Amino acid sequence: MNPLSSLPILSLLIWLPLAGGLGCLFLRPVRHASRWIALGTTGVVFALTLFLFITGSSKNGWLFFEDHAWISRFGIRYTLGMDGLSLLMTLLTAFLLIVAVLISWQVSPYPDFFFSLLLLIECGIMGVFLSLDLVLFYLFWEIMLIPMFFLIGVWGHARRLYAAVKFFLFTLAGSLLMLLALISLYLLHGQQTGDYSFALSALIHTQIPPNLAWWLYGSFFVAFAVKVPLVPVHTWLPDAHTEAPTAGSVILAGILLKTGVYGLIRFGFPLFPGPAHASLPILAVLALAGIFYAAWIAYAQNDAKRLIAYSSVAHLGFVILGLAAWNLTALEGSILQMVNHGITTGALFSMVGMIDQRAHTREIARLGGLWTRVPVLGAFFLFFSLASLGLPGLNNFTGEILILLGTFTTHPVWAALALGGVVFAAIYMLRLVQGVLWGPTKGDEPWTDLSGREALVLIPLAILVLWLGLHPSTFLEPVREPVQLLLQGSMFPSMPGGMP
Amino acid sequence: MTWSDLYALLPVLVLIFGSTVLLMAGAWRAAFSTMVAYGILFSLAAAATAVFHTPGSHDVAGFFLIGGYSRFFSILWPIVAALTLTISFRYGADRGFSGGEYAALILFACAGMVLLSSASSLVSLFLGLETFTLALYILIAFHKGSPLGAEAGLKYLVMGGVATGLLAFGIALIFAATGTFHISEVSILDASNGQFHAVTLFGWGMLLAGIGFKISLVPFHLWTPDVYQGAPSPVAGLLATGSKGAVFAALVFLLGNLQLSRTPLANLLWVLSAASMLIGTLCALRQNNLKRMLAYSSVVHMGYLLLALLAGGTSGHTAILFYLVAYAFVNLGAFAVVTVFSSCATEPQSYEDFKGAGYRQPLAAAALLVFVLSLAGIPPTAGFMGKFAIFYAAIETGYTGLALIGILSSLVSLYYYLRPVIIMYMSGDSNTPSFSMMASEKSVLILCLIATLILGVYPGPLFDVITGILP
Repeated sequence: MNPLSSLPILSLLIWLPLAGGLGCLFLRPVRHASRWIALGTTGVVFALTLFLFITGSSKNGWLFFEDHAWISRFGIRYTLGMDGLSLLMTLLTAFLLIVAVLISWQVSPYPDFFFSLLLLIECGIMGVFLSLDLVLFYLFWEIMLIPMFFLIGVWGHARRLYAAVKFFLFTLAGSLLMLLALISLYLLHGQQTGDYSFALSALIHTQIPPNLAWWLYGSFFVAFAVKVPLVPVHTWLPDAHTEAPTAGSVILAGILLKTGVYGLIRFGFPLFPGPAHASLPILAVLALAGIFYAAWIAYAQNDAKRLIAYSSVAHLGFVILGLAAWNLTALEGSILQMVNHGITTGALFSMVGMIDQRAHTREIARLGGLWTRVPVLGAFFLFFSLASLGLPGLNNFTGEILILLGTFTTHPVWAALALGGVVFAAIYMLRLVQGVLWGPTKGDEPWTDLSGREALVLIPLAILVLWLGLHPSTFLEPVREPVQLLLQGSMFPSMPGGMP
Repeated sequence: MTWSDLYALLPVLVLIFGSTVLLMAGAWRAAFSTMVAYGILFSLAAAATAVFHTPGSHDVAGFFLIGGYSRFFSILWPIVAALTLTISFRYGADRGFSGGEYAALILFACAGMVLLSSASSLVSLFLGLETFTLALYILIAFHKGSPLGAEAGLKYLVMGGVATGLLAFGIALIFAATGTFHISEVSILDASNGQFHAVTLFGWGMLLAGIGFKISLVPFHLWTPDVYQGAPSPVAGLLATGSKGAVFAALVFLLGNLQLSRTPLANLLWVLSAASMLIGTLCALRQNNLKRMLAYSSVVHMGYLLLALLAGGTSGHTAILFYLVAYAFVNLGAFAVVTVFSSCATEPQSYEDFKGAGYRQPLAAAALLVFVLSLAGIPPTAGFMGKFAIFYAAIETGYTGLALIGILSSLVSLYYYLRPVIIMYMSGDSNTPSFSMMASEKSVLILCLIATLILGVYPGPLFDVITGILP
């Protein structure tokens, strides 16, 4: 076994950021202490996840597992577990948080408050990806909201208050329904077996009357669909992403959206296999609608950030389509695409932030000529844009092709339709590139090209884009077993020592 | 009355003794802070007495049932009174309150709350209720120079008078129909058809209407915002937590052994609960005044509590007791923040007064943030656990419809709870002068803050205690 196994390493992943966040607040008098604390904390968390990834990605089953009694009155336990899927998601989270800290290095006002919120978000997200007790999961699910609300509301752009409140209300609407559903499920399970427990491993064995199952699944589904977001409930996303500060957009698009998909995979499908399978065509229709509708709207945007925000909806449409296809290839593609989207969209949001700092505008019509004005920045922008539209050899292509291949084997029509979406993506992304990079230079004050800190952010992202595009199996290996188990309908690998 | 009866009532006697002493001493020594400090000592002494005082289950003259249940509240309400007094040091001194009367009245009100929570007869229920209401009539209008305070006092007096009338009439009717005041006997149903006798039912309706006034259920809530707004903030805090909580403690006892769902009362309570949740929420949405918002929010919370009461059983009653404790700390904390922000002359009430407070008064603003999030039921705060327990009880007993209404109102209520947060943190700064808090004020805020967070993340021990003492 590896030397870390004696440590409560999953708890560390969750509580280290919280400790760092409190540190930022309490060391306010020390100038610039907060940014270094934030960088240090996210760095350590990333190192931990990377270490787990290197040592644990080839193993099967639960890599790590923690279980303690918590609130015995309701049978709520503090249960954390990490399998390949959680591992990949925590790795992505830890990585993008470093990116978020670095691009916010000069943030003002209230940097200490800002960095402590970033770390608090990391705490919540890690908790979401690691919890195996439904109440614990719900707790982290809501804890993510508050710091993000503050990030948007305090450091956001012009319409930040509207966007922040909308974000909070939309997400809460979904999750409150989920709360009722999970209590119902718990009571049902308790009445059937006498074992009152919120543990996922216990609740998946509940026999749910079909009618009720649809209601419960629906409640969970709405909560996750708002987060993903699927088309009719996506309207919070463009506002939140556009108004959020750059780091907020990176975290929102890069990670928070994935918690919705993760929730479906981890909780929605295993808990309610019947309705979940029956709803796959609906899922596909919503996904396809998202792909086309978002692409269409994205094309009409003048604000670069808003355009990228809508492209997120389209990309997440692909992810959901992969889920709906329900086979190994497509599901692997979906999970890979989540990572891909996190990397490229994170990079694009960061770059729009950098451009905004120089040009003080994000409007495509008022930008232009960046290719000659700031060549290095322009080159990176082109690179990430091409990655986002799915150029072969770069990361999004591998994810999309896996999804499309997988979908084609079972539902050729869906795949054929979705292929059109890829073309649409090319159209709006090329319009963005054309507007921002080519054309005459607007204004004539000289701009500084990429700074060292900015390069430090973008180069690792660029390497990952290539890595994921050329050798995706590094990241596919760990998720294969969880995906196979999900397809077989048995969520839980056996674990030495057994589940509680 | 025997010695053992007196012994059983020891915590109440400590409170009443303290109250009397302070009232007498106030005639000679008028320093506000000294009197308040002694008041705190007496209430803490009462709480400590209750902690170490285990007379076992004891029935005092058929009036009060002393046992685990009453002991729980004999600890809680004196703590609430002590916190109320602690927060008043600067506030009361600034306004020239006379210390003897102020502290004495709060102790007296607290004694009434403890008595009400241990009432086992309709007469002692009436007695306890009137004891603290009487003290509150004066406390609400305690600031002589404030016209709003006088208005609030008068409103509470008139409404309280009506409520008392209804209550007395209801009790009389119930007595006429059943021939007893004892709570365990009045709630027995008519043997012939398993229903209430018409007169009994009428009596219960009157009784509930009277109680509805006291805990401000819709449609008996109209006095609440005005009284909260006009009352001195610490007193408003006591009014919101202690007085309403004590009535609920009595209600649990009153309706606890009644098969509620088999009586027509269940329908009545259903409507009251739904109306309180919905109308309270809608009214709170339109407020621009923190104290008025808290008033309507208390209406909504009483609706939630009523839902738990309706659900009944162990889980319902556990939920109510947990919620009362959580709500006490959260609401006292919120009113403490208003108190802290008060200057010599005015209380900041309009949201605008809190502009930029998040950066000028980090501790007080962060405290208010946690308290409103707790009221909104967002984890990891006590409010979430309380709401969780209530919805749990509701679903368990099949009140899914009411639970859905509760969810809906929680969702909408988030909007008005976020407004003060937005003003404090996201609306830029204002040029109001900053101030420094007294140590006593700081300690109250920190205590309430810690209690809110601990009950939110580690509520297990309190749940265990509550399960052990339920009647």
